[in-house]
Amino acid sequence: MKKCDQYKDLILTDYIDRQLSQEVSSELENHLLDCSDCRIFLKEVKNNKTPFQQAFQEQVPGELWDTIKQKIENDNQVNDRIEDILGKLRGLIFFPRLVPVFVSFVLMLLAGSVTFNRIQIQQTQARDQGEYLVSLLSNTTSVSQAESNDLGTPIEHYFL
Amino acid sequence: MKDTMEDITKDTLIRASQGDMPAFEDVYKASSSFVYNVALRVVNNREDALEVSQEVFMTIYYKLKTFRFESSFKTWVYRITANCAINFAKKNSKTKTVPFEEAYGGGAVFNDAQKNLDQEHQEKLVENLLGELNADQRACVVLRDIQGLSYEEMAQALNINVNTVRSRLKRAREKLLSLSNRVNYEKV
Repeated sequence: MKKCDQYKDLILTDYIDRQLSQEVSSELENHLLDCSDCRIFLKEVKNNKTPFQQAFQEQVPGELWDTIKQKIENDNQVNDRIEDILGKLRGLIFFPRLVPVFVSFVLMLLAGSVTFNRIQIQQTQARDQGEYLVSLLSNTTSVSQAESNDLGTPIEHYFL
Repeated sequence: MKDTMEDITKDTLIRASQGDMPAFEDVYKASSSFVYNVALRVVNNREDALEVSQEVFMTIYYKLKTFRFESSFKTWVYRITANCAINFAKKNSKTKTVPFEEAYGGGAVFNDAQKNLDQEHQEKLVENLLGELNADQRACVVLRDIQGLSYEEMAQALNINVNTVRSRLKRAREKLLSLSNRVNYEKV
């Protein structure tokens, strides 16, 4: 069973606006039969709503459409003028399509740098392997020097 | 009979979105009454209502291209109108009318005699009552009590959930009730 405050909340919103389910509406109406305080409250709420429900829909002033139409026409004229100027400029100067040109440039740059890096890595590896093999075969001082500096791991051998 | 927003066809909207002025005029004719009256009640001033309505229709004209027909056109217009009107009212909160108690302290306005008020009085009363509410509450009262939108439609128009609609309406009506009680008490 709800208290009067809860019923009053319903009266203020869903009941007065006919948004309540049939079941809750009947429950509230049964309560209203017994509660004079809630009945008075309902009357007050209804009285407050009346001026708004009786409010007139004002005639829209004719000047509104004229102003809107004028504004749109002005906007269109400005847009046409800008389009006209741009058209003339396009005729005078060759504008490459900047975005595709820029994208192609970046892609070419990326492809170039990747290829260049790959060649460099391959060259370095070949040189290192060659030097190592030569040092192993000749058993020169450079190898013994390298051995004296190394840390005794296979990877050190490889790089020195 | 005058067209309403429900009567606007998809074809008319597509043509209007492509810049066809007669089609846009049809859109205007069907929605201007709602737009202007909501703007008028929310900003509570005829001059400002014209400015807000103008902004609403310029928005409709330029954004119609992006309208995807996923929601109804009516709901879309509700949302643009509520948004423009509330923003304008919040920016120009100086547009407050004469304090309600000052305007009605000496006279009964909430008893049965109010039914006999003439149109001018009625308009003044609505204007002054709305002037006592903040922009969000005012929009709720206008959309519900004057325009008759459902809670669901209001939630979509105001981009809030239905429970927020309820709580805003509740607070607005509580405020109006306390005003009426104070005025009637002072009268006694």
